[in-house]
Amino acid sequence: MSGLPRRIIKETQRLMAEPVSGITAVPDEHNSRYFHVVVAGPSQSPYEGGLFKLELFLPEEYPMSAPKVRFMTKIYHPNIDKLGRICLDILKDKWSPALQIRTVLLSIQALLSAPNPDDPLDNNVADHWKSNEKSAIDQARQWTQTYAKSNMNNH
Amino acid sequence: MSGDINRQMSHMSEASSMGSDGNSSEDLEEDNDYYMDNTDDLDLDCPSKADDPEYFEYEPLQLIDAEGMLNEEIETLCTKLKVNPSTAKMLLFGHNWNKEEIIENYQRDPQGFLIESHLASRRKHDKLVGARPTCSVCCRDFTSDSFLSLACGHMFCRECWDMHFQTQIQDGVTTGIECMGKECSILVPEDFVFEVLTQPKLRDKYSKFSFNDLIKSHPRLRFCPGIDCSVIIKAKECKAKKVECQACGAIFCFKCGLNYHAPTDCAVVKKWLTKCEDDSETANYISAHTKDCPRCHVCIEKNGGCNHMQCPSCKCDFCWMCLGDWNNHGSEYYECSRYKENPNIAHESMHVQAREALKKYLFYYGRWENHAKSLQLEELTTDKIQTRTQKKVMNNEGTWIDWQYLLQAAALLKKCRYTLQYTYPYAYYMEKGSRKELFEYQQSQLESEVENLSWKVERAEIVDRGELENQMDIAEKRRQTLLKDFLEV
Repeated sequence: MSGLPRRIIKETQRLMAEPVSGITAVPDEHNSRYFHVVVAGPSQSPYEGGLFKLELFLPEEYPMSAPKVRFMTKIYHPNIDKLGRICLDILKDKWSPALQIRTVLLSIQALLSAPNPDDPLDNNVADHWKSNEKSAIDQARQWTQTYAKSNMNNH
Repeated sequence: MSGDINRQMSHMSEASSMGSDGNSSEDLEEDNDYYMDNTDDLDLDCPSKADDPEYFEYEPLQLIDAEGMLNEEIETLCTKLKVNPSTAKMLLFGHNWNKEEIIENYQRDPQGFLIESHLASRRKHDKLVGARPTCSVCCRDFTSDSFLSLACGHMFCRECWDMHFQTQIQDGVTTGIECMGKECSILVPEDFVFEVLTQPKLRDKYSKFSFNDLIKSHPRLRFCPGIDCSVIIKAKECKAKKVECQACGAIFCFKCGLNYHAPTDCAVVKKWLTKCEDDSETANYISAHTKDCPRCHVCIEKNGGCNHMQCPSCKCDFCWMCLGDWNNHGSEYYECSRYKENPNIAHESMHVQAREALKKYLFYYGRWENHAKSLQLEELTTDKIQTRTQKKVMNNEGTWIDWQYLLQAAALLKKCRYTLQYTYPYAYYMEKGSRKELFEYQQSQLESEVENLSWKVERAEIVDRGELENQMDIAEKRRQTLLKDFLEV
């Protein structure tokens, strides 16, 4: 881990020592700036019972620039698109160097509990959410069963 | 005729030199009064301020003058509110340079106003705590002199602030740089940035970018949008009026900075231009560059701006736009500029309605685009007039002054056609009704006279001067009438 900024070393150590409940983040063995993340679907959300894989990368300018985060597991959510890209303010203009990997992952977990169809990334999903919330939630639940269960065996 | 003018001129200069020889101060004063009092005479050719719907007062500034003007405003606020220049700058930037409002709000509640302006914090963040406090950004240990915070109290080390500023400036952010604290939106004033920022290159960049931000935020200043033009236009008020840059010739709207667009307003012209960008491929495809003569079907390329065409082969006169007989384009029956909507459209299927919508758009787009092309071609006519005038003067056929009216006619034609071009987006977005009917009537009148003028300008040598000047007057009157009735500012 030589050459790695003290800030990243500290954050990694703390993530390992005091993990956040429902979230694991493990640095890649070949690249300490690349994290394998698994977020558990929050209870009382359509994602409950699912385990969602994400990748998180700390760019050269981190923490002056936000980490890059993407869902690897397919998910039906108005603020997450087909490619797994996430629409979250703190990953863009509301990023502050005082935020951490931990806070980012907590915000993503919160986004699963509270989808925001008024600020959509995937318009089709958002329209579905707004026109028929119940049917959209059913769809999200179904996707969770289909995509967020089986692929955990090889993790 | 030219000889007369020269003789008169020399006579006048003799007279004035005699006057000054007399060296009487009274005479001079009288002269001054004579010139000062009769400023009305100067406006003889242009309509008076109240009459001209396009009248607008503005002046060009150089960068240094604009900087001086901003600094003056900043200083005024500094003395008035007893704040430092950095704070004054941020206040003016954040409140549209509305000094009166800033002073009033600040004097009522200084702290509250600073908080509202993101320059102070409601609650001060705790100073660093713990046995071995560290910078929360880089996790390095705290050494007393290297830690800095803004009004909010969020402490970070100097290196981290420096890095933060570098990243932001490289992203083009200057006046909008915020504190690094979590959910803290306190703005970083200039003096703080300069105290920390180390790289000279970035310091320059910061100065340049933040100056640009200040100009852009100022309602009475606007950068000239001309290519590589550094002029800044200063106006008395922020209105959608015409500005012509003396330095580069760019003609633009003061309010939005786009090409001048009367009688259409800023929002509509923006909508129209976006639409054209999206749809014009189809339109381009449909409107070809050549057309066939409606009578003898010979292929004709348009090489002049005038839309009154005469087939070189069969000599029939027709309209380039509608391919109809030009005789029907006399001022009484001029209907070519009017789009005739299908009256039964509401009962038609979606498919037919969509086709109709496209047809309507293509109608307006075609005319918009055609006038733009005509403008370009008429630019060439101006060049030709210039060369011909030169030749005539060389051959002693009148003086340069004698032929000026030809250039004036070309310039006026350009002005009228320009307005005519911008009537099409206006008409496209207009609701059906009597107002639209009036607009389209005036538009058709203007178009008819513009084409008459164009025809005469292209044949200026065989057209009588009086006839041409009469046509100029008619065209400009039509333009003024339309603007007076429909230009809303």
